[in-house]
Amino acid sequence: MPEAILIVGGGVAGISAALNAADYGSKVYLLDDTASIGGMMARLDKTFPTNDCSICIESPLMYEADNHPNIEILTNTEIRRVNKTNSTFTVRLVKKAKYIDEEKCTGCGACVEACPASVPDELDGKIGGMRKLISMAFPQAVPSVSVVDPRCRYGKMREQHACIGECVVDCSQCRECPIALCVKACKEEGKDAVVLWQADKRIDIEVKSIIVATGIRPAEPDTGLYGYDIFENVITNIQFERLMNAGGPTGGQIIRPSDKNHVKKIAWIQCVGRGLKEGLPYCSKVCCMIAAKQTIITKEHDRSVETVIFHNDLKAYGKGFWEFYRKALQSGVRYIKGRPFDVFEDPGTKNLTVRYEDLDTGEIQEEEVELLVLSMGLVPNDRNKRLAKVLGIELNEHGFFREKGTLLAPLETSVEGIYLCGGATGPIDISESVIQASAASLKAVLK
Amino acid sequence: MSEDARVGVFVCRCGSNIGGFVDVPEVVECAKALKDVVFAEEGKWSCSVDYLAHMQECVKEHNLNRVVIASCTPRTHEPLFKRTVREAGLNPYLLEFVSIREQVSWVHMDDREAATEKAKDLVKMGVAKARLLEEGEEIRLPVKTDSLIIGGGIAGMTAALSLADQGFNVTIVEREARLGGLLNKIGRVWNNGSEFPADELVKARAERLYNHPHIKVYTNAAIDTIEGYIGNYKVTVKSNGSIEAFDASTVIVATGMQEIEPVGQYGYGDDARVVTQLDLEGLLKNNALDNVKDAVVINCVNSMNESRGCCNIGCGISVKNAVALKGLNQDIHVHILYRDLCMVKDERGNVERAKRAGIKFIRFPDDRYPEVSRENDRLAVKVYDVLLAREFSIPADLLVLTTGFQGDSSVEQIKGQLKVSANAEGFFQEAHIKLGPLDFPADGIFLCGGARSPKNIREACEEAIGAGMRASIPMKRGYIEAEGIVADIDPGACNGCGLCAKNCPYGAIRMADEKPTVVKALCKGCGLCAADCPTNTITIIHYSDEQILAQIEAALEERPEEKIIGFVCHWCCLGAADMAGVSRLQYPPHGRLIRVMCSARVASQFVLSAFELGAAGVLVGGCEFPTCHYIVGNYKAENRMERVKKTLARKGYDPERLWVLWCSAADGPKFANTMREMVKRLNLK
Repeated sequence: MPEAILIVGGGVAGISAALNAADYGSKVYLLDDTASIGGMMARLDKTFPTNDCSICIESPLMYEADNHPNIEILTNTEIRRVNKTNSTFTVRLVKKAKYIDEEKCTGCGACVEACPASVPDELDGKIGGMRKLISMAFPQAVPSVSVVDPRCRYGKMREQHACIGECVVDCSQCRECPIALCVKACKEEGKDAVVLWQADKRIDIEVKSIIVATGIRPAEPDTGLYGYDIFENVITNIQFERLMNAGGPTGGQIIRPSDKNHVKKIAWIQCVGRGLKEGLPYCSKVCCMIAAKQTIITKEHDRSVETVIFHNDLKAYGKGFWEFYRKALQSGVRYIKGRPFDVFEDPGTKNLTVRYEDLDTGEIQEEEVELLVLSMGLVPNDRNKRLAKVLGIELNEHGFFREKGTLLAPLETSVEGIYLCGGATGPIDISESVIQASAASLKAVLK
Repeated sequence: MSEDARVGVFVCRCGSNIGGFVDVPEVVECAKALKDVVFAEEGKWSCSVDYLAHMQECVKEHNLNRVVIASCTPRTHEPLFKRTVREAGLNPYLLEFVSIREQVSWVHMDDREAATEKAKDLVKMGVAKARLLEEGEEIRLPVKTDSLIIGGGIAGMTAALSLADQGFNVTIVEREARLGGLLNKIGRVWNNGSEFPADELVKARAERLYNHPHIKVYTNAAIDTIEGYIGNYKVTVKSNGSIEAFDASTVIVATGMQEIEPVGQYGYGDDARVVTQLDLEGLLKNNALDNVKDAVVINCVNSMNESRGCCNIGCGISVKNAVALKGLNQDIHVHILYRDLCMVKDERGNVERAKRAGIKFIRFPDDRYPEVSRENDRLAVKVYDVLLAREFSIPADLLVLTTGFQGDSSVEQIKGQLKVSANAEGFFQEAHIKLGPLDFPADGIFLCGGARSPKNIREACEEAIGAGMRASIPMKRGYIEAEGIVADIDPGACNGCGLCAKNCPYGAIRMADEKPTVVKALCKGCGLCAADCPTNTITIIHYSDEQILAQIEAALEERPEEKIIGFVCHWCCLGAADMAGVSRLQYPPHGRLIRVMCSARVASQFVLSAFELGAAGVLVGGCEFPTCHYIVGNYKAENRMERVKKTLARKGYDPERLWVLWCSAADGPKFANTMREMVKRLNLK
C-alpha cells in the first residue's frame, strides 16, 4: 500500500491538513486547481473575531507547506480519474499549463510589467480590479510564479492589443512566439521561463487516502436582487472585503464604484442568500460576523463613516463572537432589526434608498446610503458535482459532500479512505476548518 | 567559533529587479572592502539552481565560514539559502540575509544613487552581524508515547481512542464515577435526521475504552499534581482515595462545560415546575413527565447580554427537547420563546421539523424578556410577540429555561496546574483562535470540546480527533524540534529575579533554586526575556545584543543624522515592508531596517545606542494589536517604548524621534506612509 495521501484543495483547510499529515510523517500531495495555494482566506482582509490580517497569518503556513520536505504542491492541477483497488487509490491528475516553466520562473514580475493588456480580475472585476494577461495570483502566491491567461494565446486577444506583431501566419504555425513582450522581458532578465506552447501534463500517483478540502464559495446575487448588477453602488460582502484589503484593487481605500469617492454612509443587508431564486435553506453562519468585522474595519479607516446593518436574526455563534458584535456596537454601528424589501437609486447622486420594515416598531422606514453591501451566504463549489462523480462519493441535498454519519463517523464518506474537511462539508469559518483539517488528517494518515 | 571569520558576500541582481535600480558592482566593491570579507561577487539570479551550486563551490573554494546573501526577502527565500549553505557543509545559522530588493530597489526606483547607498549600508550591516554569528542548531527534545487526558466525557473518550488506536498509551482521568460526562444526563441525541439514546453512544465508547490494551481509566479521580513540560510530565492522580504517580509526554484537556444554574430567575429553585434544559433531559430520560399539558420554553436566559454571549447550542437543544415533549403526547402545547434562533447550517431543517410537530415559536424583543406570574396554581408567561406586535399570556405547567454554559468547575485548579489561561466564562484560551484552535501556547498541551467553548456532540468529537492528531505528531516523531533561535542564560551573572520565567509566554524558562534555566526546545526565540533582563544575562542566539548593536553601528557609521534605524518584527512589520516592495510603493530611502523575530526583542539599550550614535530617528515596528505571533510581544514592546521615551527625554533626546508602528503584513501602504511621515517630521532631506 502506498504511504502517500492526496489533499484536494489548497485553502486553509487543505494546507492545515497537509502540514499535520506531513509533520506526522506522511508524504502529501497538495492539490489546487488555481495557480496558487491559499484559497479564500488569502483574499480576505481581516479575520473575525480578532481582526488578524488574513494573509499575514496564512502566508507563513503557505511558505511552511512549500518548504516542507514531505509536501509536494501541485497547483493548476485537476483530478481526472480515480481507481480504487484494495486500499490503493490510483489517481490521474492533469496539471494544466501555466505557460510558465515553474523551475525557471522566480516571480520577479518583469513579464507582468511588460504585458500590454489588462482584463478584469475574476474576483475583483466588478469593483474595478484589473490584472494583466500574465500575472501572479496575488503577491504572496505559492508557488511564486507568473501564470499566462490562456485567452492570450493563439492571437485571441489581438483586438485588445495583447499581441503586438503584424503576423501573417497563424500562431500555431510558429509554435513559439519570440516577439511576445512577456517572452522578451523574461529573456532580457536572463531567464526563459515563459513557454507559450506548454502542454498540459498528466501525472499519475498512488495514494492510500484522499482528503477533499475543496472549500466553498460566496453566493452570487441574482441580477436585480436589491438592485445588484443594475445599480452601480450595490456590491457583495466579498467585494467589500476586497475594497478594504490593502492588497485589493483599491489598495484598501473604501471607495464606491460609481464615482470612486470615499463613502460616508454604508448599509449592509444580511441574509440576502435566503432571497435568491434558489434560496439557501440553511444559515451560512459567518455572514453576521463578516458584517460586524467590515463595519469595525470601516470605522477604523474613518470614524466618521456611518454604518447600518439590516438584519433579521443575529448569529454570534462561536468563541469571542458575541464580544466582537458588542465591539461593533461600541464602534457606533447601527443594527436595525428589519428586512429591506426594496432599493431605489437616485439617478443623480447614485445614492441608494433602502425601504424596510422596522421589526421592532412595525413601521415602514427609509434609509439613504452611498454604498449598499449585500451579505451573501456560502454555497457549494461548482466543481463539487464533477468531483463527487470522479471520487465516487455523494453530495447532500445542498450540494456539499455527504458525510457518512455526522456523529459516529464525522468527516468520513461512503468510500473508505476518502475524508472531508472545511467548506466541502458545508458553510464553515476558518477555525472550524482548521479543526476539521486536523481530524481529517489523522483519519487519512491512519488509513 | 574560535577560528577567524571569513565572510563571503553574494549580491543578487535579480535580473533587472535589483540590477536595474542599484549599482550592484559598486555594492560588491563596497562589500569587498569590509572587515573579514574574503570574497564578494554579484549573481544574476541567486536563487537559480545553477547559481546555488556555484555558491556552494565558492564556500568551499574560499573556505568561507560566514555567508551574506543580499537579495529579496528572508520571508520567502531564507529556507532555500539555508539549505544551500547547509549542503555546502556550513552551519545554516552562519548565513545572514540582507533584503535589497523589497527594501531598496523596488521602493527607491527613482533615485539610483540613494538606493545604492542604502544597499551598501544594508550589506555593511549584514556583514557586521555575520562576523559575529555563531553556529546554531535545531534543538530536539525527546517525546515518548504516553498521553494524559483530563476529562472522560465524549471529547475525552474520543481523543483517547484516537491516540490509543495508534498504539500510544493513554491515561484518562475522570472526576465522576463513570465515563460519559454531560451525555450521561442526556436522553436522546439527534444526528442528521436520525436519533438514538445518548446512553448507547456512551456505552459503545466506554466499552472500547475499558477493553483497550493501551488505555488506563481513573474514575472518581482528579489531577493532584502535574509538573514538567512536553515529553516530561510527572503526574500524580488522586483516585478513590489513593494517589498514583505516572509520566506523560502530552496532555489533552477535555474538561467540558457545565450548565449555568439560573438560581432565582423565573422562580427556578423554588418552584419544581421551573427547570433547565438539562433538568428536562433528565425528566425525559426517566419518563418523569406525566401531567404536563402546557410547556413553555424561554431561550437565551443568561445569554446575549452585557456579560455573556450566545451559548452556541441552546437553540438546538430547545428545539430537540420541544419535539421530544410533543413526542410524549401530541396534545401537549409547546411554545418556544426566542430572541434569535441560532440554528446554523443544517440545523435549520430541525426548526421545520418542530413546526410540523405543532410547536409554536414566538419571538420576543431583546430588551423585553417574558415575565412569569403565578395564577391559580398555574404559571402564566407573559410575552410580547415582535412579529405580531402583541402581548400574549400563555399558561404553563412546565417552564423550561434554556440557560448558557460555562467552563467546568475544575478549570481554576487545572489552569494553575498546567500554567495555562482561561477566559472569564471559564473556557480555556487556545494558542490562536483561528489557526491554533486545539493547541495551547505551550507545546505538548492540547484542548478540545466544551473545555474550549460550548460545543455540540459532533463538534466535540471533531475537536477531539483533531486534538488527537495534534498530540500524535510529536509522539509519532519521537521528538519536538525548536529552531536554533533560542534564549541562553548565563547563570553566573544572573541575580535570580525570575522576571524571565514569569514573562515567558511559553513556559520555557523554569526557576530552580532561584536560578532560571531555559528548556530550549520550548523556547520560540521571541527575545522578550533578553530585552527585559535587568542584568543582561540572557543571549538570544542569532539575535544577540552584540550582533544587533554591531548592525546599528554599521548603519550609522557615515552620516548618521540622515538615517532612521528601524527594528521590525519578522512576521508583520517586515511583511509590511515587503508588501510595500511588492506593490512598488515609493518612499524616501532613509530607513535602515534591522530584523528581529518579535518587537519584544528590542531592548531599550538598542534604541538608546542608536540615538547616541546620532541616528535621526528610530522606528520600532511589530504586529497589529491585539495579535502577535508571540502572543503578547507587541504589548510588551509598546510598554517598553513608552518607558524608553521617558529615558530619552531625561537624557536630552527628543522622544518624538522614537516612532512605533503596529501593522499587519499586508499593510504596505501604512509602512510606506510611516517612512514618508517620519522623514517629513524629522526634517530629513
